Amino acid sequence: MSEIKPTDTAATNAGEEKDWAASKYFSDSLKTKKPRPPKPQNAVTIAVSSRTLFNMVEERKIYEEEGVEKYMAHMNQQKRENEPLMPGVAFPLVKALMTVNSRLRQLYPDSEELFDIVLMTNNHAQVGVRLINSINHYDLTIERFCMTGGQSPIGYLKAYMTNLYLSKDGEKVTEAIKEGIAAATMFTSGDVENQLSDTQLKVAFDGDAVLFSDESEIIVKQCGLDMFFEHEQEFENIPLKQGPLKCFLEALGKLQRKFYAKNERMTCPIRTYLVTARSAASSGARVLKTLRSWGLEIDEALFLAGAPKGPLLQKIRPHIFFDDQMFHIEGAKELGTIAAHVPYGIGQKYHKGELIEQTVKDVKDKK
Amino acid sequence: MDSMVRNPDVKQRDAAQAVVVAVSSDAIFDPEVEQVHGATEPLRKGDAFSFMKAIQVVNERLLTMNSDETLLFDVILLSNDSEEKHSRIIASAKHYGLDIGRFCFCNKEDSIESLQSNKVKLFLSTDTKDVCKALQKGVPAALLFRQTDPHHQTEDQLKVVFSGDVIGSSEEMLHGLREQGFTETQLQGFKTAKGSVKEFAVLMGEMRRRFGLEGSPLCTGLMTVWSSRDVCASALKTLRGWGLLVDEAFCMAGAPRSPILNLVQPHILCLDGLYHMEGFTAMS
Repeated sequence: MSEIKPTDTAATNAGEEKDWAASKYFSDSLKTKKPRPPKPQNAVTIAVSSRTLFNMVEERKIYEEEGVEKYMAHMNQQKRENEPLMPGVAFPLVKALMTVNSRLRQLYPDSEELFDIVLMTNNHAQVGVRLINSINHYDLTIERFCMTGGQSPIGYLKAYMTNLYLSKDGEKVTEAIKEGIAAATMFTSGDVENQLSDTQLKVAFDGDAVLFSDESEIIVKQCGLDMFFEHEQEFENIPLKQGPLKCFLEALGKLQRKFYAKNERMTCPIRTYLVTARSAASSGARVLKTLRSWGLEIDEALFLAGAPKGPLLQKIRPHIFFDDQMFHIEGAKELGTIAAHVPYGIGQKYHKGELIEQTVKDVKDKK
Repeated sequence: MDSMVRNPDVKQRDAAQAVVVAVSSDAIFDPEVEQVHGATEPLRKGDAFSFMKAIQVVNERLLTMNSDETLLFDVILLSNDSEEKHSRIIASAKHYGLDIGRFCFCNKEDSIESLQSNKVKLFLSTDTKDVCKALQKGVPAALLFRQTDPHHQTEDQLKVVFSGDVIGSSEEMLHGLREQGFTETQLQGFKTAKGSVKEFAVLMGEMRRRFGLEGSPLCTGLMTVWSSRDVCASALKTLRGWGLLVDEAFCMAGAPRSPILNLVQPHILCLDGLYHMEGFTAMS
């Protein structure tokens, strides 16, 4: 089975093997006998920010309105430290990832091809105690974390071999994508947790500029739909270039195949969806052929031919839906879907089909 | 027997109040340089250079805030070099304008004694063996992290990272290490190391508190390499109890530490003794 991550010769050096061996002793000596986190190079690493994992809306308000010192004073009040934070928008996703992990561990007890969830936060380390207490409260399998005390997390994402980064901060997400890391900005949604499956992880992807590059989207925006259909049919057999989330779909596919190998296709706890504005007849073939050329499967491909995505997503109820266009994100959110924006490609320069005026970047009013 | 030379170009600190740090001359000046008899040019810069510059920044900021500040870094250059090199070392320090208060020349065998008699709060070396030896003798010591990536090197902020696997582990857990093959001497060594880390952590905590959350010339961090998140949380609380509120925290839980350390690029890495103790090779 091919690797989920590129093998790095540096990663196999003796020092790291020693550390790895040592962690076994520290983990075995734990009374709780929790399963050991996998080696990062074998795992599918998902980095979540503190604000996506937990609901920190009130705290964020204090930070933005009163500054970092008041925010820290608020967070560090002794009584607050043991108060568990409320679940955030990525919480259902994290629970679903944990479910997949337990199923994988049952079938492959010695394998490290698992999800590894890392907490990646800009927060000052002193908030760490409260975050860890909350993680303990919900019994989440988050063993690794990185609190950068204000520094950008981008370098750390690479250092942790991150496959997917989720944050509420669009700027950080954009930076991550520029650095070649799959990333998306999450938005607060309504209380959907109760309606989501707790036995199957469902991930929905938009096609253009998410799984695929924005090359075709550029044609739509610049030349119109008719040109787009013509182009797609002419180039039907030429695979599209890959987009920022292609590798994440690939990683999901590899884990899915582990279930198929054990005859668990019908009860596979991972299901993937393509939700695209393309239409099946005129521009769908190229998409399916591209996926096939990459050796990737997607469980359900839904071609909307321009119809709104919201109602369909409402039926699917994914734990996360990735799209590059805010218009679709908003539509999804309105009907309760957990949506994550992928700030990539030409779609960022448009809003509802209209070109956004180029604005000069103003000095930010907060760092 | 050592010979102590005061640096006339640097204002002497109040050693009782200052954070006295001894740095080996091999770290400040490149020891690979050929020894040419009678050579007088300044020695080449060594691994500790950005550390020396960063310390200067911290001292300057402290003095700007309070000209009577006594909680400053006070650097002793510790040299085991031959006598003919002594004046060249002093001249080189002057050439680079290094904030070195005193030069201590002694034999290698007498180094530990010199450190102890000068009540050094921290001994820094790039050699992990030297650091461990010092720790075992009860001299607080830490590793001068070799900054490999010039792009990440900071000279305007001093970065100190504490390792937390021992600090955060309970007595019970450390006791359990006996079953993993550690001897009583080694376990005692960890206790000693933990004690000396505490002393330095208290000083760093006090110094850190002089500055605000943002824009501080001193940045502190915690890293646990092997342990679970609970040990990391416990280490955070222990450090907090000692008065040190770290800025950054990393919990590796077995993941490789070099990528993170190479990114953080600490100047000082306070080992809690566990890593490089000889007995540990029994584990791998």
